[in-house]
Amino acid sequence: MKSSADYAKIDDESLIRLILQSQEQALAQLYDRYHRLIFSLALAIVNDRATAEEITLDVFMRVWQKAGTYRREQAKVSTWLTHIARHHAIDVLRRRAARVDQFAVHWEEARHNSESSAPNPQESVEISLRRERIHAALAQLPAEQKEALYLAYFGGYSQSQIAEVLKQPLGTVKTRLRLAMQKLREFLNEEQELQDKSVMPHSAYNIKEE
Amino acid sequence: MSDLPHNAHVLDLLPAYATGSLDADELQRVDEHLLNCWICREESRAFQAVADELSFVLPAAEPSPELRDRLMQRVGSTRSKVPERASRPVSAPSFWQRLLPVWGVASLLLIVGLAASTFVLWQRVDNLKVATAPGGMRAVPLSATDAAPRATGFVLVSTDGEDGALIVDGLPPLGESEQYQLWLIRDGKRTSGAVFSTDEKHYGGTRIRAPRSLLEYSAVGITVEPAGGSPQPTGQQVLAGLLPNP
Repeated sequence: MKSSADYAKIDDESLIRLILQSQEQALAQLYDRYHRLIFSLALAIVNDRATAEEITLDVFMRVWQKAGTYRREQAKVSTWLTHIARHHAIDVLRRRAARVDQFAVHWEEARHNSESSAPNPQESVEISLRRERIHAALAQLPAEQKEALYLAYFGGYSQSQIAEVLKQPLGTVKTRLRLAMQKLREFLNEEQELQDKSVMPHSAYNIKEE
Repeated sequence: MSDLPHNAHVLDLLPAYATGSLDADELQRVDEHLLNCWICREESRAFQAVADELSFVLPAAEPSPELRDRLMQRVGSTRSKVPERASRPVSAPSFWQRLLPVWGVASLLLIVGLAASTFVLWQRVDNLKVATAPGGMRAVPLSATDAAPRATGFVLVSTDGEDGALIVDGLPPLGESEQYQLWLIRDGKRTSGAVFSTDEKHYGGTRIRAPRSLLEYSAVGITVEPAGGSPQPTGQQVLAGLLPNP
């Protein structure tokens, strides 16, 4: 019988395998690691704590019932969870009426929060690092590109809806979104290359020495 | 289709595709293109990885402490149910069970012919190729979207295009207020081909009814819509596929 401390030492992918074997403590451990991430994402999208909690529950229930759909070659477990959460939250949002006005106000708040976020000591190192990376990447973007990106990603808006909300031509919105994503990709790729280089020499020297 | 000229690809649409912000017509174009183009699929994956990182930008918020207990209680209430496996082999009997209610007695002979090559058919479907079954029936595989990653399915089209049926698996049953709807796409226009539900085993099937021969449509898509169906797609797409050209 494993204790909570034992489960805390198990990596994410192994937890998923244990969940497939109906081990509730494995799900509890996954919840402990990622409930803040999932709840924060849901809250940013639906802007309602009670609804965000329901979405968080649904996400972890889906993991419990469909752990077998996880594919390690496609994404990390944390990414898989955020994927499920975002789709579910946007689905909930799309069923609401008068969404445009609601989100037009809400996204400003979400953007402000995201730009002024402080590290949370209870977060895992991986989440903190990923947050730092994407913060640095977003800081490279002009405000109007970030705005379009936030409306698309956290608001679930189509490009034509974004054009309507921002009162900008559709072509302008398309260009902003495309440039924003291309710049983020370039920045994150460069970051990854730097990270790889900082690791590679060590292993390369080891090989030469042999 | 990897040797397409650059302007035939959908590369410019992929950044917005990754954020889920393409409008319906462009979304359909990208979905259809990705089925057959590995270059754009690779690009799409790269942009999707970028979009996924955006989820990490938000500051950590804390839900109520009771939420964990609620989760474990909910898990406890489903304890007798074994979590679904990664992949469920398709056995001949369950295949029959799914097909029979769809076609009815009138089409039984067609099904007999089809079932004779079920194994080969599924192999071909798995390879995402249009398979030709005995009697000239064609089975067109459907691809799942992120909204329903476990979903599989295919459309059966008769030789003359006058008859068609849809079989799906891995699509969860919806609430009373919603149903799945099959869309037939021709020149960018969508026509409803069926409105259907799935059972508790996530299986479903229906006959396809279209104003034209099914051979005149280029693609199909399945979306979640209000019960009874919508005049045009409004909900999330869960499956899509290209129909064989005449």
